[in-house]
Amino acid sequence: MTLDGDAAAAASPAPGASAIYFDGTSNRRRVVALKLSDALEIREDGQRLARWAYADIRRADSPAGLLRLSCLTAPNLARLEIRDDTLAAKVVTLCRQLDENLPGRKGVAAIVGWSLAAAVSIVLVVLFGVPLAADRLTPLVPDSFERRLGDVAEAQVKVIFSAKRCDNAAGQAAFEKMVGALRQSAGLDNSVQSGVLATPIPNAFALPGGKVYLFDGLLAKAESADEVAGVLAHELGHLRHRDSMRELIHNGGTSFLIGLLFGDITGSGALIFASRTLVTSSYSRDAETNADSFAIETMHRLGRPAKPMGELMVRVTGKEGGKGLSIVSSHPLSEDRLAHMGKADAGNTLSGAPLLSAAEWRALKGICGAGAEKL
Amino acid sequence: MNDMSWTPLGPPQPPQPPVPPPMPVAFSGNRKEFFHLVARGAGLELVTVGFYRFWLATDIRRHLWSNTHIDGDAPEYTGRGKELLIGFLVALAILVPIYLGYFLVGIEAEHVRAFASIPLVAFFYMFGQFAIYRARRYRLTRTVWRGVRFWMSGSGWVYALKASLWGLLVLATFGLALPWREAALERYKMRHSYYGDLQGSFEGRGWEFFKRGWWLWLLTPFALYSTIFIPFVWAAFKAIEWRWWLSGIRFGEVRLESTLRRSALIGLYWKVIGWTMLLGIVFAAYVVLCTLLVASMDGSSIEDFFKTEAFAKSIPLLVLLGIGYLAFALAMNVVMRIYLLRDLWVRVLSTTIVHNIAAAANVSARGELANALGEGFADGLDVGGF
Repeated sequence: MTLDGDAAAAASPAPGASAIYFDGTSNRRRVVALKLSDALEIREDGQRLARWAYADIRRADSPAGLLRLSCLTAPNLARLEIRDDTLAAKVVTLCRQLDENLPGRKGVAAIVGWSLAAAVSIVLVVLFGVPLAADRLTPLVPDSFERRLGDVAEAQVKVIFSAKRCDNAAGQAAFEKMVGALRQSAGLDNSVQSGVLATPIPNAFALPGGKVYLFDGLLAKAESADEVAGVLAHELGHLRHRDSMRELIHNGGTSFLIGLLFGDITGSGALIFASRTLVTSSYSRDAETNADSFAIETMHRLGRPAKPMGELMVRVTGKEGGKGLSIVSSHPLSEDRLAHMGKADAGNTLSGAPLLSAAEWRALKGICGAGAEKL
Repeated sequence: MNDMSWTPLGPPQPPQPPVPPPMPVAFSGNRKEFFHLVARGAGLELVTVGFYRFWLATDIRRHLWSNTHIDGDAPEYTGRGKELLIGFLVALAILVPIYLGYFLVGIEAEHVRAFASIPLVAFFYMFGQFAIYRARRYRLTRTVWRGVRFWMSGSGWVYALKASLWGLLVLATFGLALPWREAALERYKMRHSYYGDLQGSFEGRGWEFFKRGWWLWLLTPFALYSTIFIPFVWAAFKAIEWRWWLSGIRFGEVRLESTLRRSALIGLYWKVIGWTMLLGIVFAAYVVLCTLLVASMDGSSIEDFFKTEAFAKSIPLLVLLGIGYLAFALAMNVVMRIYLLRDLWVRVLSTTIVHNIAAAANVSARGELANALGEGFADGLDVGGF
């Protein structure tokens, strides 16, 4: 669909073959004659406009049926266009380095090679560097900052679950008694805040800056005070190890690096989500196992068994084994946790007094009863 | 990915007739060649976990630019993939501290009130507009026609501020102010665009755009109600927008005109939808097949496989699905690039006419190259525009 190439060729009856020349300083279209001697000479009306050494001539992008040339020593945008096939072929054979600056097969191989190298190093950093950085950085984060983070998370949790904080007086007293005993056994100071939220979801969680929350749904499923105490001790373990902070650094770093790999800094997209889940859940399983060990020690120091917590876990999640591999799950299998705790209990004589009396346990179970008020 | 939507154009020079006739713009690119280009590019993107996108975007632009004929001469795209990669890396270096700062400010805001940090997203909107302006500048300065390059002045931040304020107005008027926003932004962009020493300008009026497209505004609620209308409304909107935009472009006395019909793009969008559905069916069949295969290898019955949620935890299945998803996404990319980039380009170009080419008979080269930082930001923030 070239429009007036023929006109250009016809307009130059000059000796030597004709071409179109743009000198790079104006867009004037000059019909020129080419002389192929020891260099390519560009002439207009018998006057020499430019002389391009063959070694300096490079190919520029052009539509089919047109050879467009530039020259390293000429102005950057000076272009010579040859529409005559035989002349173009002749020039191509004379210019040996014509295609040197176009990315060829070798260039593509370099891109592929370096991309793979970058991918491998990013994966290695995600697997080894980020957990290490999270471990090292967490102690450096000031407590005041962590507490602020915790406040933010708490406000969001309350909005998301539209949760009321349960404050039935007798239940609250029993809850505080239990948390107090656990806190002392765990060696944590009294900056720890805790409470029960009226939500039917059976769960409990620790927030950065020393906040532990128990959901009423978990209380409802619990059959003894030791079960609840074990869960609380587990959450105190997260606090003690500053796991939320570590997880924040870890997740942030992982999202960023994986996002970098797939070319989106903010880290959206299904693939990014999937791979991030795999990485962060394996990390979280380690943290959960450590918190379990902490819970076992804390309970044993009080002379109470840890196994009831495991039983509660199994009751909540059901039997989890035999369902393929659990690489995407954030917690270890409940029955594995139960077995771990049972084994730990077996080696110890546990003769401590119950943490709560029967009446106190009943009060705790009913903490979200009549007295629940919206926060 | 932000691929170009900017039509290379130019004030060409006529041979010597006294009154130059209106000059249609032609496209000579081979569709098969383009398919080959994007299919190979998609494969390389897969192998390079996405890093090839910089070189693919460059190759696509080189193909489109160099096959577009304006007054018999094709422009040239002189950008290179390496520049885009460097722009991306620099943008990354700047964006990382900004994200960290954003995180800290967000925490302080949340401290005052839960979810109070959401308005901070507005900052990234502005940043995205800045990126759009700077990316356009990069593409323009890499566009060469007849040995003279296009270039751009102006400030990306001024543009971002204008775009954001107009954006607020559009929100407040439920989209009615959109034509005036586009006109104002185009005026700013074109006023700061040059071909050599020839300054650009934009003569499209918001009112004309509104007159041509107001009925689409009325149809939008129906389109949102019943999704079958969305492609029609969107395609008509895009066609009106292209025609209005092209017809408003001036470089000196050179004038562009577009005769694009309202219905010209509807077919393209339906073709994309058709391919999406076809690819979706293939992908779904693949998912079912993989699940059956893995379940049978697992030895458990299909019912058990689902009842126990084992399917969510089986590594072979996850890997197979991951590969399938990647192939699906890459095939979708190829389809989008062929229909919404190349075919759209060709359709729009075939209705474009250049008037008064003689006014640009002797343009002198001016203007400096711009760096690819804007492209990097646009890539990092996932924004595109023209």
